[in-house]
Amino acid sequence: MAARVRGTLWPELAVVAVLLVAPFVLLPLGFSYDLLQRILDWGLIGLGFDLLFGATGLLSFGQAAFYGTGGFVAAYLLVGHVIANVWLALVLGTIAAGLVGLVVGWLAVRRIGIYFTMITLAFGEMAYFLENSPLSHYTGGENGLPGVPVPSLGGMPISAGLPMYWLLAVLFFAGFVLARRILHSPFGAVLRAIKGNTTRTGMTGHSVPAYKLAVFVIAALYAGLAGGLLGVLQSYMPPDAFALDTSGQLVVQTVIGGVGTLVGPLVGATLWLWLRDNLQQVPHVGALWKLILGLIFVLLVVVLKRGIAGEIRWAFTRRRLAAAEAGVPEETGDAAVMPPTAPALPLSAPLVVARTDAPALRAIGVSKFYGGLHAVENVSFEVRTGSIHAVIGPNGAGKSTLFKMLKDEIAPTAGEVLLFGRRITGLGPTRTAQLGIGKSNQLNQLFLDLTVTENLRIAALARARGTFRADLWRAADSLPAVERQVAAAMETVGLIHRADVPVHVLPYGEKRRLEIGIALATGPNVLLLDEPLAGMSPAERVATRALVREIGRTRTLLIVEHDMDAIFELAERITVLYEGRLLADGTPDEIQGNQAVQDAYLGGLHEHEPA
Amino acid sequence: MPSAPLLLSQAFNGLALGTLLALVASGLTIILGTLGVLNFAHGALFMLGAYAMYVVTAQTGSFFLGILVGAAFMLVVGVVLERGLIRLFYGRPHEDQILVTFGAGIVIVEGVRALFGANTQSVPTPSWGQGIVQLGFLFYPTYRLELIGIVAALLFVLYLILYRTSIGLVVRAGIEDARMVGILGINVRRSFLLVFALGVVAAGVSGMLYAPIVSVEPDMGSSFLVEAFVVIVIGGLGSYPGAVVGGLIAGEIISITSAFNSAYSEVMLYAVMALLLVLRPQGLFGSEGRV
Amino acid sequence: MNKRIGEAALDRRQMLQLGLGAAGGLMLPGLGLIPARAAEAPLGTWPAGVSGSTVFVGVTSPLTGAYSADGKDEVLGYELAFAEINAGGANAQAWGLKGKGVLGKQIRHAIADSELKPNVAVQAQTQFIQRDKAMMITGCVSSAEAVALEELAQREHVLNMVGAAGANAATGHDCQRYAFRSQPSAYMACKALAPVVAQHYGRGKKVAYLVPDYNYGHSVFGSFSAFTKPYGWTTAAKEVVPLSATDYSSALLNIANSGADIFVNIEFAAQAVNSTKQAAQFGVFKKMQMIVPNISSFQAQETGAALMGGVFGTMDWNWKLEDRFPLAKSFVAAFQAKNHYTPNWGANIGYLQTYIWALGVERAGTFYPPAVIKALEASKTNPFDSTLGKVWYRAEDHQLVRPVPVVLGNAPGAMKTKDDWFNIVDLVPGEQAISPPTFLGCKLGSYT
Repeated sequence: MAARVRGTLWPELAVVAVLLVAPFVLLPLGFSYDLLQRILDWGLIGLGFDLLFGATGLLSFGQAAFYGTGGFVAAYLLVGHVIANVWLALVLGTIAAGLVGLVVGWLAVRRIGIYFTMITLAFGEMAYFLENSPLSHYTGGENGLPGVPVPSLGGMPISAGLPMYWLLAVLFFAGFVLARRILHSPFGAVLRAIKGNTTRTGMTGHSVPAYKLAVFVIAALYAGLAGGLLGVLQSYMPPDAFALDTSGQLVVQTVIGGVGTLVGPLVGATLWLWLRDNLQQVPHVGALWKLILGLIFVLLVVVLKRGIAGEIRWAFTRRRLAAAEAGVPEETGDAAVMPPTAPALPLSAPLVVARTDAPALRAIGVSKFYGGLHAVENVSFEVRTGSIHAVIGPNGAGKSTLFKMLKDEIAPTAGEVLLFGRRITGLGPTRTAQLGIGKSNQLNQLFLDLTVTENLRIAALARARGTFRADLWRAADSLPAVERQVAAAMETVGLIHRADVPVHVLPYGEKRRLEIGIALATGPNVLLLDEPLAGMSPAERVATRALVREIGRTRTLLIVEHDMDAIFELAERITVLYEGRLLADGTPDEIQGNQAVQDAYLGGLHEHEPA
Repeated sequence: MPSAPLLLSQAFNGLALGTLLALVASGLTIILGTLGVLNFAHGALFMLGAYAMYVVTAQTGSFFLGILVGAAFMLVVGVVLERGLIRLFYGRPHEDQILVTFGAGIVIVEGVRALFGANTQSVPTPSWGQGIVQLGFLFYPTYRLELIGIVAALLFVLYLILYRTSIGLVVRAGIEDARMVGILGINVRRSFLLVFALGVVAAGVSGMLYAPIVSVEPDMGSSFLVEAFVVIVIGGLGSYPGAVVGGLIAGEIISITSAFNSAYSEVMLYAVMALLLVLRPQGLFGSEGRV
Repeated sequence: MNKRIGEAALDRRQMLQLGLGAAGGLMLPGLGLIPARAAEAPLGTWPAGVSGSTVFVGVTSPLTGAYSADGKDEVLGYELAFAEINAGGANAQAWGLKGKGVLGKQIRHAIADSELKPNVAVQAQTQFIQRDKAMMITGCVSSAEAVALEELAQREHVLNMVGAAGANAATGHDCQRYAFRSQPSAYMACKALAPVVAQHYGRGKKVAYLVPDYNYGHSVFGSFSAFTKPYGWTTAAKEVVPLSATDYSSALLNIANSGADIFVNIEFAAQAVNSTKQAAQFGVFKKMQMIVPNISSFQAQETGAALMGGVFGTMDWNWKLEDRFPLAKSFVAAFQAKNHYTPNWGANIGYLQTYIWALGVERAGTFYPPAVIKALEASKTNPFDSTLGKVWYRAEDHQLVRPVPVVLGNAPGAMKTKDDWFNIVDLVPGEQAISPPTFLGCKLGSYT
């Protein structure tokens, strides 16, 4: 199993081979040792950046702050004769960069997307100003710090040229191996989940801000080491390490090389520096080199969406993906793939043994107002432990809003929700997931670029590992309990034949089942299903009803659904909402006999019956 | 401790600086709020506006003609950019949009350098802006003083466009909920074109108005881009009132800090931004829900 | 702190070239001015860089970004010198070179854009050294680039004829054995300027300074205030502004309200133009006279004579020196013929430094770097004739001892030609302006 998740060792072997032959192949092409060292240095900062941007989807325009910090701390310690050991200085510089990353990251990861990019850029600029003015006594201001010594190994200095190349090659390779381990660890799985669907990642019980901050610090550490090495490789720590252009160049090189490939920044740096170097020497180009490279960059962003390494990898994976897609039927409704009976593998027991004397969920007077709109108003009801409980009502009755408050995805305007007698209101969706509330959504919230197995694994990892754990070195599939849970959930929702298919190619019905499967794989005590049957074919509905009944045997189940046949077949108890208020609450028989419910539905159904 | 009159002077100067920053940031923020595109080429477009002003005033000597022709030119630039490049990126991740505008910014700056050379160019102060005015507590350049009024008027025009027209409705709806704008259907694409062009014109006009104050040179836009980012982070993403108030705050921070030690004016700006991120991460006028 | 590193770098170079065993064999006893013999151990790019019929010179200068106008001007100066030296015509002979090329070798060169970034300059020059076996590296428009390249030159044992760089550090505590700087240091410029302005404006003036927040800015501020102090000049305001500032309004408000008589503007290039224009808008010139200790190449053209008229300052060189020095006259003529404009002082630095290097090599009779260095260090007894008259490199800190032109801007009406921006009011002899040899903290590194 481990070999499957981590893939093969081919990438490592390929990198070793390239690093070994590069000096001999590239020197005749006009690359000096110095240029190769710089390319590796860019590649090293790029490894961390690709974990941040490629894997997690966080575009930072401020990596220069950490590159510069690592470089100047190491350089100052050495040039200022604070310490003499170059290795130690590099380590301290790296740590300092990580600490700065911790502070900047703490501020930056509070916001996502564009905001994150702008904040990192601004802090990058701030670092540049600090280096140039208030800290110039230590950093040499715009002159930088000349005279950084080289490290020694066994008493022998690692001199410029080939020995320095080998040092950088070894460090790059070590960084590459580590980055790949991280990418294929449970930690890395969560990072990729955050990129795929941040909201769902949090909903399944992973602390998204903690993971973002962690990967931000990891990227800062890579940048810090690369910065330290920049000073060492040229005996001089330049102030422009801090410049906005440094961050920009890193982004440009990564995009050209291929985002999310780890070697992309290295490939991009090779091409960019080579072009930069040689374009200028073409007659009459001179200062126009930047215009030409700018045009090339824009063209690449428009045309080559994956970058060089990305396109190469795509060429290899495309066939596999095409094969996977070929196996997926165009039409939905292939009921035969659904397990007609109980799954062979038992679902693992809920992590928290339920206290059966308390109701599983209890809403006490919850309300949600949006300005003047009363989406939900003063609703109280209980869900008995071990029961299948349904919430029904016409469209706009406030069912989905109520569901979101039950998992604390949104904060109630008033009232509170208790889980087995414990107040969960105010904890947020991540904590409630950890406490055992799973939820499938009305609109699919899947990790579209990941496979079915990976989707389920994200969910299963949450309660097994807690809200955050930095298990960078172990393989994502090396937790037996998690894998059992994944297998059980996959079998329960009947997607075993799609285990390795990327989710975006699945037909809609299978995506719906996966949506439930993800909720199930978190190992919830209480499962909230928001319109699980929506958009399914009649055959799938039959199969899914069987599935819901099956799940209901082992856990408390709360379901919102428009399919009345299904509700009255499955539910032991039904709560009816109408225009945000509780209309009725009782057994299916009581509800069927309730005049108010009939009026509401007769009045509402003709208008609101979903298509 | 600086004297009270000096502090008052700097506070006044902060107002002048702030209105200009507000104008620069407002172009950035309406594009960001509506299209969800962070336009990294905004600084380059600011610079392009200044060059348009330079070319027209060098030919005709007329400042008003410069504004008119320059604004028309920037409108064309905006339309061409949107139709030729930005439109291809609406369906792609934010990051790709950032990258393509970043690249476009480089191309514009280097294109201008190739055309006009690296030397700085001069745009004369218009005849009605010559000289210096005695304001009682300070002497202040006439043109900068008039600029406060001009920029305030422009900001008001932008306000009218945003809050009193149908395109403004789209912009503000986009700021509230980008998906809802999508539901509005086919009109949205044309609105996007208009909004993008409007943002580009705002960047360009800022550059044109600033041209008589500073040297016009290819790299003049980069520091404004970063400052505009800070303004938006302070004011709240995609919020027009946020851009205006954020701009004024940034101007005051820079100016008041200078009364004590001008070397720290930029650092102080970032420090305030960091502080605000701790206390109110969504910015002064940003809504919690937006990214 | 650099000297220790120079020694460390020596180890590295030895290892690269000789392997560890030969480390001891590199000492070059009693080299003196005797041309190096073939028996000399390889050093830097020597002899690999002179094994053919050509010799390579690496040039870096900012061609994009800030100061790129100055960078372009400087590059044209280099290109003219390379072309003249390779052709071996009348100009090359007038400088004292023999035949075509340098020691019969044609100069090959490549130009790389430094973007004003020390790191990029070092990257490009390292590429020239390692790949192209450059025998000389040169060019820059900032002291930061200069200091970085000097360090590189020392480490790689390749001569560096420093481009435009005015900070004291370049021949002060960041000086290097392998680097030679021709531009007057801030110290020289201010020492030359101070008596002239003091005599013109009188004693006891109050001065407001606009200081860009980097080493060069602080260097000029320190020197100017020190040299005007004996005349009773005092600092009324010192406005330090961030790098790459574009709006100076808040600093200028302070300056306008400082009650100063003199406004000393230390900003450079585009920022100098910018701040001068804005100072005018704030009415600074109604109350104060401007002094620019180091006037940038394009400052007058870009600011205009209306503002630059009556401004005192110094500059590395001015085309009007053609009236005094024949080599300046031939330079201006050749440059105008080739590039269709009158050269600025950036171009002169490129042109002059290339010639001085070529002359140093021919005097040494070899490209062997220590021999060339010693030839340049010995130039006091045999000064070079140049675009600045007789000049020589001081052995103690590698600062060119050269006259410093103190200039006064012409008002629009006083300009006789379109390039007649300045009058040279004084040409202060180098010996008079230069700092005491070790005053700026220079300790040159090793020859090998």
